[in-house]
Amino acid sequence: MKISMSYPRVTAVAAAAALAGMAAITVVPATAAPAKASAGLSCSSTLKIGFVTPLTGVAAFLGQEQLTWAKYAVATLPAKLGLKIKLVPGDTPVEQGPAPAQTLAQKYVADKSVVGVIGPSTSGAVAASSKTYAQAGIVQISPSATRTTLTKGDNQEATKAFFRVVPADDLQGPTDANYMIDTLKVKNVVVIDFQEPYSQGLGGEVESTLQKAGVTTSHQSIANTVTDYSAYVTKVPTAADIVFFPTQSPAAAQAFAGQLVEQGKKAKVFVGDGGFGPGSFKAPGSFASIFAPDVTTIASSKAIVAGWQKANPGKTAGSFGPPTYGAVQVLLQAIKAACVAGKGSIAKRSAVIAATRKVSINTGWILGGKFNWSKVNTRDPDVTKFYLYEIQSDGSYKRVG
Amino acid sequence: MDTFVQVTLNGLTAGSTYALIALGYTLIYGVLKLLNFAHGDVFMVGSFIGFGTLQALGGTSDPVVPVWLLLILMVLAGMAGCAILGVAIERFAYRPLRDAPRIAPLISALGVSFFLANSMQLMFGADQRNYGTFALGNGELFTKGFSIGNVHVPLIRIITIVAAFALMVVLWFLVTRTRTGKAMRAVSFDREAAAMMGIDIDRVIVFTFVLGSALAGAGGVMFALRVPTAASIGFVIGLKGFTAAVIGGIGSIPGAVAGGMILGFAESFTTGYITTRWSDLAIFTVLITFMLFRPNGLLGRAGVSKV
Amino acid sequence: MSEPREPHDAPSGPAIGQDEWVARHGDNRSARAGALGTIEARLRTVPWWGWLILLVAAFALLPIVSPSGYVRRVAFDTTVYMLLALGLNIVVGWGGLLDLGYVAFYGVGAYAYALLDSKLFGIHLPSIVSIPLIVLIGALAGFLVGLPSRRLVGDYLAIVTLFFLQIFLTVTTNGDEILGKNITNGANGILNVDPLNFLGHDLTVEHAGVFAVSYLYVGVAIFAIVYVALHFVNVSRTGRAWRSLREDPLAAETMGMPVSMLKLMAFSFGAGVAALTGTLFASLNASTFPLTFSFPLLITIYTMVILGGQGSQFGVAIGAILISVLLELLRDPSNARVLFYAFAVLAVIAALGRSRALGAVLAGTLAFGFAAHAIAGAIQHDWVAGTTEGGLASTVSSWVIVPTTLGDWLGPVAYISLIGIGLTLTLIRGPLRYILLVPTLYLAAFVWENVLLVQPEPTRYIVLGAMLIALMVVRPNGIFGERRVEII
Repeated sequence: MKISMSYPRVTAVAAAAALAGMAAITVVPATAAPAKASAGLSCSSTLKIGFVTPLTGVAAFLGQEQLTWAKYAVATLPAKLGLKIKLVPGDTPVEQGPAPAQTLAQKYVADKSVVGVIGPSTSGAVAASSKTYAQAGIVQISPSATRTTLTKGDNQEATKAFFRVVPADDLQGPTDANYMIDTLKVKNVVVIDFQEPYSQGLGGEVESTLQKAGVTTSHQSIANTVTDYSAYVTKVPTAADIVFFPTQSPAAAQAFAGQLVEQGKKAKVFVGDGGFGPGSFKAPGSFASIFAPDVTTIASSKAIVAGWQKANPGKTAGSFGPPTYGAVQVLLQAIKAACVAGKGSIAKRSAVIAATRKVSINTGWILGGKFNWSKVNTRDPDVTKFYLYEIQSDGSYKRVG
Repeated sequence: MDTFVQVTLNGLTAGSTYALIALGYTLIYGVLKLLNFAHGDVFMVGSFIGFGTLQALGGTSDPVVPVWLLLILMVLAGMAGCAILGVAIERFAYRPLRDAPRIAPLISALGVSFFLANSMQLMFGADQRNYGTFALGNGELFTKGFSIGNVHVPLIRIITIVAAFALMVVLWFLVTRTRTGKAMRAVSFDREAAAMMGIDIDRVIVFTFVLGSALAGAGGVMFALRVPTAASIGFVIGLKGFTAAVIGGIGSIPGAVAGGMILGFAESFTTGYITTRWSDLAIFTVLITFMLFRPNGLLGRAGVSKV
Repeated sequence: MSEPREPHDAPSGPAIGQDEWVARHGDNRSARAGALGTIEARLRTVPWWGWLILLVAAFALLPIVSPSGYVRRVAFDTTVYMLLALGLNIVVGWGGLLDLGYVAFYGVGAYAYALLDSKLFGIHLPSIVSIPLIVLIGALAGFLVGLPSRRLVGDYLAIVTLFFLQIFLTVTTNGDEILGKNITNGANGILNVDPLNFLGHDLTVEHAGVFAVSYLYVGVAIFAIVYVALHFVNVSRTGRAWRSLREDPLAAETMGMPVSMLKLMAFSFGAGVAALTGTLFASLNASTFPLTFSFPLLITIYTMVILGGQGSQFGVAIGAILISVLLELLRDPSNARVLFYAFAVLAVIAALGRSRALGAVLAGTLAFGFAAHAIAGAIQHDWVAGTTEGGLASTVSSWVIVPTTLGDWLGPVAYISLIGIGLTLTLIRGPLRYILLVPTLYLAAFVWENVLLVQPEPTRYIVLGAMLIALMVVRPNGIFGERRVEII
């Protein structure tokens, strides 16, 4: 018989002490902050902007790309406008659902020097948290949430404080489908969704437009944890011309295209803006749509891209990063305008919302040309066309529409 | 008919990967009675080591060695790297817990899993990576091969499947025909009795981790030859391997292979013939039903309770 | 910490129907000497409700101390975690059943509430009806999952329950097309869920976007009720039977205990608590999404339960608080820095004790740092010209080398060497250990400033992972867990 009994209690006491210490760290700054807030925010002090995106987990590649551009924008732009800005990123791993986005919203609301938020990046997180931001009067500018309903009306999903610099699915979907119908003369298309909102929204728009035009479509639904697509490729009919593959990862599109070739299917891959990635998606004959031309081909943005490249050696510009830079551009303009209107201070954070509505950028817009809000729906960008690219045999992107 | 052949081929490819991971689970479970939740992440690290080796040897566009040698070197590097990683994990995360309550090493394993996945992201970023094997030798890995009916069986699949089975055969010999293998089986049967018989338990356990992790490393490299990899894949792939091991009867080596194959075929046949949207539901319902009728898995021993 | 080691809550004399040795086993341990021992003995006499009152009071006072909505929201999230931990503690800590499908019941509760109180189907039940109904639904779900699983043990039970979780996720994710009907609104989740209401009044969620206190208080009240109710379940006949089931199912069965029924009850109780928590969560967020109820959450709750010490209600609640607050604090690099250096110093003190080596190592590390910093700065100014921000930043940047740009390879190399050297150090004994400790500590600070703090998000989980491993190695039974009497 072996009996072991005595057990130190020091750890328990230490844990209690740690707890008290941690509580002190959390509570003290939070209590200290609001005291000086009532007088309004001075624009000569350091203002903060939040940034909500998945930075860990399966979608981290997307959020991390956005983060590099947001950091670069915050490092280079504010000084030109005479502002001091600090970026406060927050992580919302997609595996945890949108709940962390709600906690982050409280964090930004509580911190009185946060004057605006970039993001959330995913539509689900926007829907879950935008009511809080709207009530607190904090502007949100998303660089990548494209669900159509997010800017329609004023409800839990679509608040007046939410803006985005990318156009909604109901523009991209029909554009892609019409190109397939008119130019590619498709007869048979497979539409894929990944059981998450982005692909379901965009894929749904494409599918319904194709069906109206009498194109044969079939639908496949792939759990978003799947990485080996060969079983799904087998299901692609031999007669299929196009597989519409609304992924958010160019590498996944590349793998899918490779497996189509491997299994002798003639269908080509067609991706939305999420799959646009000259660095990693280069299967010849594939198509990609994006709401702005490839940022590396825009003459006026050369310096920006070169600067970003210098700060992030070894990375290639994808499709999620540049709009994030753009979202920061818009937010900074709005903050500057609010500061001017408030004579050097921002009395209420909601002033930035009003200023955001009036933002227009005539020179230096990262995505080329000018930036304005849409005349029809003032919280969407004034983008009326999508750019279509066909991938050449050397892997380069050639604009076809 | 063509579809059937293709679906079978898909099942075989996926199944051989699952089997390699399941073997690691089963081996480690056998000697430690521990569900090594970090195993999927060891697999992930293996796929990254393969990628690093590929880059070091000139990348896909301009490899400095012939393609066959390149593949062998990548797999060997993956196996070696993961073997070292496995030994380190055992030494520092599991060995101190050998006499702790059974749930403690389980939690420690989860800790290792968190640690590995996020460390890889920290060091090498969160991007998905393709090896880009398509570019290797003008795509001969994909264009060469043979045909069954109208179905093309490319070289890369043949290599993956054959290599996986070759590794399984090697493992089988190691476990059944060598002294260390015998010791492993003895430890797995009754650790204390084995210790009393003069078997060096620590050595056997380290050896088991070397074997299991090396298999995961090989699996990781071969998987990533065809499928993109990322720092976050370990969890899902580990779950698949774990499932396969339990279906086959955890602790049983032929069971792990069978379980991996069953899972691979179940997935490919449900998506191929029945439904894509509800394939997970179909698979899991079948698995639950199966587990209820064979609670110890396909080839597992019914536990004998001693009082 | 008198709780919940039944039966020594009873007076420590022998009682009828109990074995005297067993009855006294809680007392059979050697007391610590000195002042700590006295404190410990005093703490031991605090009754179980004393700890509960302490917890509840701490949470109730929080909104008074700080008006920040963020602090309240984190407190509320923590309450949710504490409730989930209490529920899991029934299944794992008391019943000894490895249930990997636990968060599915949390989801069942959230979805049940979202269907019964939202615009989706236009049903708006009063909370007084829906809450008990959902607890019953949850318990029933637990019973149904337990029913086929009751014959399974250990890891087989774990995997079957895990399959159930996967099925729950698949069904909710694809539930916008169940036989052509939209039941769960799929991956887009259910929005416009009602807040809880009492007597026709909706509970306020937010005032001008700031988290209102009402929900926090309701959460804490529910926590207190569940805690008390479960305490009485634990000291009841059922609670004792669960523990015997946990210790030895075979013996329990031989003694004529209804083992299957006990397992089902453990499942149902745990699932009921989880479903109740789901209600709270869905009503607060006014929405529910499938992915919330996936494996990472399960791991987090398991961590809390094991860390706190499975079996002890107070322990698992503390485990929940520690993990929840720690993860929240690590979001912010400046907090993380303070925590890191405090932890490093404490760890060195704990490892070396009050010896001369301690002073030597600490002073050595400081000196080493200044020397390395000066040398690096003299060779190339860029090597030390990098900027850091946040708490302690200026102090630290004159001690740790922070280059303006870190080479591509330097980060991974430094990180891997730190892990390698750190682990090796635990194997070395004697004076060499102290000598090597100095550069290792400095390397740790270097890696922390240059690699880890640069990416706080993966770092949170790396810290969590490393902490789990270290804690299990040091204290496999958790902070408040009791080492079981092992009879061989």
